[in-house]
Amino acid sequence: MSTGTEQVDELIRQEYEHGFVTEIESETIPPGLNEDVIRQISARKNEPEWLLEWRLEAYRQWLTMTKPEWASVHHPDIDFQAISYFSSPKKKDGPKSLDEVDPTLLETYEKLGIPLEEQKALAGVAVDAVFDSVSVATTFKEKLAEAGVIFCSISEAVQEHPELVKQYLGSVVPARDNYFAALNTAVFTDGTFVYIPKDTRCPMELSTYFRINAANTGQFERTLIIADDRSTVSYLEGCTAPMRDENQLHAAVVELVALEDAYIKYSTVQNWYPGDEQGKGGIYNFVTKRGDCRGRRSHISWTQVETGSAITWKYPSCILRGDDSRGEFYSVAVTKGRQQADTGTKMIHMGRNTRSTIVSKGISAAHSSNAYRGLVRMAPKAENARNHTQCDSLLIGDKCAAHTYPYMEVRNPTAKVEHEATTSKIGEDQLFYCRQRGMSEEDAVSMIVNGFCKEVFQELPMEFAAEAQKLLSVSLEGAVG
Amino acid sequence: MSEALKPVEHYRALIAAAGPSLPGAGQPWLDARRQAAAARFAEQGFPTRKTEEWRYSSIGQVLEQPFRYRDEAFEALTDSDIEDLLLVEQPAARLVFTNGRLVPHLSTTDGLDSAVSLISLRAAIEQGSEFVDQWLGKAIIDSDLETFEALNTALLNDGMCLHIPAGVSIEQPIEVLYLSVGLDEPNVMTPRNLIVLDRGASARLVEQYASTTDAAYFNNGLTEILLGEDAELEHDRLQDEAAQAYHMSVIHLAQAARSRYRGMVASLGGTWARTEYHTAFSAEEAGCELAGFYFAGDGQLTDIHLDVRHPVPRCNSEQKFKGILAGRGKAVLDGRIRVVQDAQQTEAHLSNDTLLLSRNAEVDTKPQLEIFADDVKCSHGTTVGQLDPMQLFYLRARGIQADTARKMLCLGFADEVLESCTVPAFIERVDQKLQHRLADVHIDTTTSG
Repeated sequence: MSTGTEQVDELIRQEYEHGFVTEIESETIPPGLNEDVIRQISARKNEPEWLLEWRLEAYRQWLTMTKPEWASVHHPDIDFQAISYFSSPKKKDGPKSLDEVDPTLLETYEKLGIPLEEQKALAGVAVDAVFDSVSVATTFKEKLAEAGVIFCSISEAVQEHPELVKQYLGSVVPARDNYFAALNTAVFTDGTFVYIPKDTRCPMELSTYFRINAANTGQFERTLIIADDRSTVSYLEGCTAPMRDENQLHAAVVELVALEDAYIKYSTVQNWYPGDEQGKGGIYNFVTKRGDCRGRRSHISWTQVETGSAITWKYPSCILRGDDSRGEFYSVAVTKGRQQADTGTKMIHMGRNTRSTIVSKGISAAHSSNAYRGLVRMAPKAENARNHTQCDSLLIGDKCAAHTYPYMEVRNPTAKVEHEATTSKIGEDQLFYCRQRGMSEEDAVSMIVNGFCKEVFQELPMEFAAEAQKLLSVSLEGAVG
Repeated sequence: MSEALKPVEHYRALIAAAGPSLPGAGQPWLDARRQAAAARFAEQGFPTRKTEEWRYSSIGQVLEQPFRYRDEAFEALTDSDIEDLLLVEQPAARLVFTNGRLVPHLSTTDGLDSAVSLISLRAAIEQGSEFVDQWLGKAIIDSDLETFEALNTALLNDGMCLHIPAGVSIEQPIEVLYLSVGLDEPNVMTPRNLIVLDRGASARLVEQYASTTDAAYFNNGLTEILLGEDAELEHDRLQDEAAQAYHMSVIHLAQAARSRYRGMVASLGGTWARTEYHTAFSAEEAGCELAGFYFAGDGQLTDIHLDVRHPVPRCNSEQKFKGILAGRGKAVLDGRIRVVQDAQQTEAHLSNDTLLLSRNAEVDTKPQLEIFADDVKCSHGTTVGQLDPMQLFYLRARGIQADTARKMLCLGFADEVLESCTVPAFIERVDQKLQHRLADVHIDTTTSG
């Protein structure tokens, strides 16, 4: 196994591909957090009174809450007063077309491989690009508008569709839900809003690329997706961030609402800066994601490929309220260096005949730590509910860690819950078999790891599957020595 | 417990009052341990639902009981009184405890190899046995005692003290019976066992907790087992406490190289019962096999906690637990396997299956893997469900009544775990008890699946 060591070392040392900082003038509120800062954010965004009140209420809640300690992650205390809570690329008037967008910004997107100019020509992917905290360009609006789909930044939605925002915002993740959700509610600056009307299949995959820029700016995105009766939408979220020495906090909240017979597919490829080899720098990714299957036969599916961030703390969940509703969670989490991931899901079965599937694949290498933490709850009324959970961990190297913490709470005798978890390294016999057939160790490992993750990758939309596989190969190919 | 006193204060008062009359009081080595434990207990206090290990098991019920500490055996029993309870026909030795204290006239150690030492802990302390001083607390890897362990140690009194010297093998099982009898007010007992098998020794141990009383009582037991190199122990435990009883059993197991441990617990009784196994290997190629069966009906909580540690390479462990819940029965299973960084070639597997027979039963299960080594094979599997309609159909199609068919399936389910026990009477007893319990159970058949 030692033949591959050099390659391995080289790959492990490989620096973060997307590490660059765009020099662009930002309009930033000085660091610090208090009610005035929240009022300022709200004022700059020209928000209605009820939203400001909600933010302040959340802030007051947050002050009384304590940071969660239960996750198996370690990091120095976060100084919330050292963070700047608002950063918006400076602009005089909102751009009406791409031509008006700051060219430096466009360059950044190009480096990231999302050339906006080519977006319209791309096969049906509309990108609402969030650069720091304010949306600066939105495409394909007309086409979506034809279908009646609303796809815009949440600030815009607050102005244009206040009734929808007011009805649904915070209805899935209440302000006091948890420490980071409360913080997000108080200071969120921007994010995405999607509304799919009744009987509508969204004509294209919706996608937002989040990108953190401007030093010391925490990102507090807020995403709200509502799929009305019998509608369907697939939403893609992908992230990269510039290299930096200071830890950056990202505490997003994502709320999904699926009404009767609606289907929401939410896919994430997360590739934020994980910190250097020693674990310095890197993003803290403390995200609250939750979907609510409110109607009969609603269906929410989460797929995530998590390769980045210094710390990932993320549990995309489904509340299966409606009868016959369905929740899915497919996850690949890769950690290397000193990365720490504590991720999983919650499936709360409340309705009859609700079904959930959990497939989690954790891969840990070097000094990293990777944990699956999940909850499956069968409420007393979850008649004939079903859950199947499969968690597999792959360990690469003898300094990493893989943990599995599943919780199962069953209060209905007709419910059926199954959980399986395995932890192992890449089988010597599998490697031997491949090498015996003339494959290099590199290729063999790549093939085996890809096979290990296949169940999850095949759930990704095609656009993302390619990126996910590439990420995996960058992160891991040959990491076995 | 007087109204004014909080639970911790209540127990501190019990400890303070009992202290001077406990065996060996005044012996510095023992006083030091009891005092340290009492201090630890006071410092820790009782766990709450916020303590992760107690997330699903509320101890409120336990704390509400005004337990006394009456340190007295119930002697007025004869062999014929306990005859029906016994599980081993010709035991190598038998110890009978009533209300936490050894009853010598019901106990016998005549059949034992003269090199083997089996006496009550109390006798060992009173004889000033260095053995107790040397080994007590050694199996507890985290030397910090948990609350209930500290309470047990602060009130360290009686129990079994077994030492099997190197190379000695005891073929017939040693039987130990803990009987709660004749109690008229709620009493707390603190059985403490110390079991040491030297290199190459082997033994079989059958323990049973039973009662002939309806009173509430609390058995807060702590057992330490140390297995030397190549030692082997088979250890079967039947928890069949009274319906109103509270039961806590903590077992700490420390295993040296190539030692084998096979443990089984059948947890059937008590209104609140918790069994904890803490196992750790100190050297390579040791093996630990734990199995358990639990049944909980109306008004019962049964809780099993497993903490299986692999601190060294090339050891294997296997945990297999099954349970049946009826009525408003509630079960908790929390099983943790920890493999440290250098414990390569570890193999550890945990499985937990629970059958829910009623609408109001509840199970909370939490198998955990914490793995820091890469060359390991670890897994856990959990299922929760009801009786398989296909299996029921198969039996009914062969003319078996629905009720009988269900009971057959339940017994078959339990026997898959029980069969690893090597004491036939143990399996029979659990089967009998289970049939008896199932006879009162209405099995919900409202399945549409």
